[in-house]
Amino acid sequence: MDPAIGIDRLSKRYGSLAALDNLTLEIDRSEIFGFLGHNGAGKTTTINILTTLLAPTSGSASICGCDVVADSMKARQHIGYVPENVRLYDSMTARDNLLFFARLSGVREPSQRIGEVLAILDCPELATKRVGDMSKGQRQRIGLAQAILHRPDVLFLDEPTSGLDPLGIKTLRDLIVKLNRTLGMTIFMNTHLISEVSKTCTSIGVLNHGRLAYRDTIAGVLARFGDDQTLEELYLSLTPAAAA
Amino acid sequence: MTSRPAQIATIAGKEIHDALRTHVLSLLTGFLILAAMVSLTVSSIALHAEYLTYVQSRDLLLSLGKSINDLVPPAFFPLKLLRGFVEHVEIIGAVLGIVLGYRAAAVERGHSTLMLIMTRPLGRTAFLAGKLAGNMVLIVAGLAATFALGALALFVISGVGLGAADLLRIAIVFAAAILYVGSFFLLGFILALGFARLPTALLVAFAVWLTLVLIAPQIGDTMDPDNQVAGGVFRKLGIAKPEEKEILKSFATYETIRDDIEQASPAKHFERFSFAVLGIKDIYNGQPLADVILDRLADLWWLLGIFAGLVLYLFARPLNIARLSKEQ
Repeated sequence: MDPAIGIDRLSKRYGSLAALDNLTLEIDRSEIFGFLGHNGAGKTTTINILTTLLAPTSGSASICGCDVVADSMKARQHIGYVPENVRLYDSMTARDNLLFFARLSGVREPSQRIGEVLAILDCPELATKRVGDMSKGQRQRIGLAQAILHRPDVLFLDEPTSGLDPLGIKTLRDLIVKLNRTLGMTIFMNTHLISEVSKTCTSIGVLNHGRLAYRDTIAGVLARFGDDQTLEELYLSLTPAAAA
Repeated sequence: MTSRPAQIATIAGKEIHDALRTHVLSLLTGFLILAAMVSLTVSSIALHAEYLTYVQSRDLLLSLGKSINDLVPPAFFPLKLLRGFVEHVEIIGAVLGIVLGYRAAAVERGHSTLMLIMTRPLGRTAFLAGKLAGNMVLIVAGLAATFALGALALFVISGVGLGAADLLRIAIVFAAAILYVGSFFLLGFILALGFARLPTALLVAFAVWLTLVLIAPQIGDTMDPDNQVAGGVFRKLGIAKPEEKEILKSFATYETIRDDIEQASPAKHFERFSFAVLGIKDIYNGQPLADVILDRLADLWWLLGIFAGLVLYLFARPLNIARLSKEQ
């Protein structure tokens, strides 16, 4: 069986700047993968390539065996994506927003599926609420709902907890784990905090200036660094040259 | 997987729904209709005043026992009353197009939804086609309402029923207006998809509108020697048309420059074509429709060419990832 995500010597250059430099990574199905990195490390570039929004300069990437460049339409059928600070259409209700994305994704019986998805995310009461009237946490749930409507194999989350209050962070974390366990989705999330990934992820990768600096299971990470270190501290441990 | 036509219909449907919900279309169309009605009313009042002057002159001559054979009664061509109407479609219609085009891209970029849409199994072409189809439906609907009310008002104001030939002429101008307003929609849409900052895109779109719709035709008009004196300089000087043409031959370069400035403006092409078809321009008044269209075919080609060129550019240009979400 193909891995959920396969990345092989992936590079992306913007002029002389290498945003990604020979990144090779494989993520198995049903993993929750935390992708860490400082601002500008190349995390969002990686997600943009994997979600078919951006073409790489060299190398290749695939989602469930579908090449993200050569077979992008098929790859898109396997992915769901929640960008940072997802907003959707403010003037439309959650149901109308979801109906729109369900139709674009070719979901059969979209109304029924919307009901199911909102039930999985514990928010059926949000269906008739305008997205513009929602709290950030509620919007994040509807953002998640649009991403899983077509039952993707891989869910990409870009800084999913950004701007959420502690309760919102915990709720979202629980939902991510629930999606992984109940629907078997592979989850790829960009984030900043080790404390966050330690409670959610099964494995992590650390990106430093476009290169993969570290890759391990969460058990391995906790054994090595503990669960209260910040990304900065992890970097200092991983890249002694930076500390000096 | 959804079929491509179904995806295009989904995007187009949302576009129409959005525009109706936010009242953007009804507000702009309402303003266009209001302006058009005011211009029709003003034209009819002017015509009525001209008629009253004629009646007073005639009565005066008759009361003095003089002949009225030399007194020419004012000619009445109801379609000529549409002059101001066409000018308002030219100016406000272009604004309607730009606003719809800007909105079509801005609503997606501002909410990061363009990024979400482009990660669905939906081609860029289908997305753009859906946007174009939805907004063209809105433009056609808005212009149809404006032209239908214009024709109705013309009938009510003039009291003369419009014949099938008149309605056909109005329908042809309506079709030209769709191309014209559609081109400004494409301009607003392309700029709002391409510029890093959305306000800059809107600013550039209105700078283009100002240049092509207001400034270029105005320069052309100002440079026209016939517009230097009220009623026309040659007519005031009593110079006949053949002599006028001879005189203008000496100013061929000047005329070429003046014409080129006007040719640069799609508004002028729309105006020239519409004025000819509706018989607003005297030389075309009462001429067979086919002859008029043949004579002004170049303007129609220009309108068609600008619209088709912008559509081709829209579909040929790749979407820039840096322009899919919030402003950079």
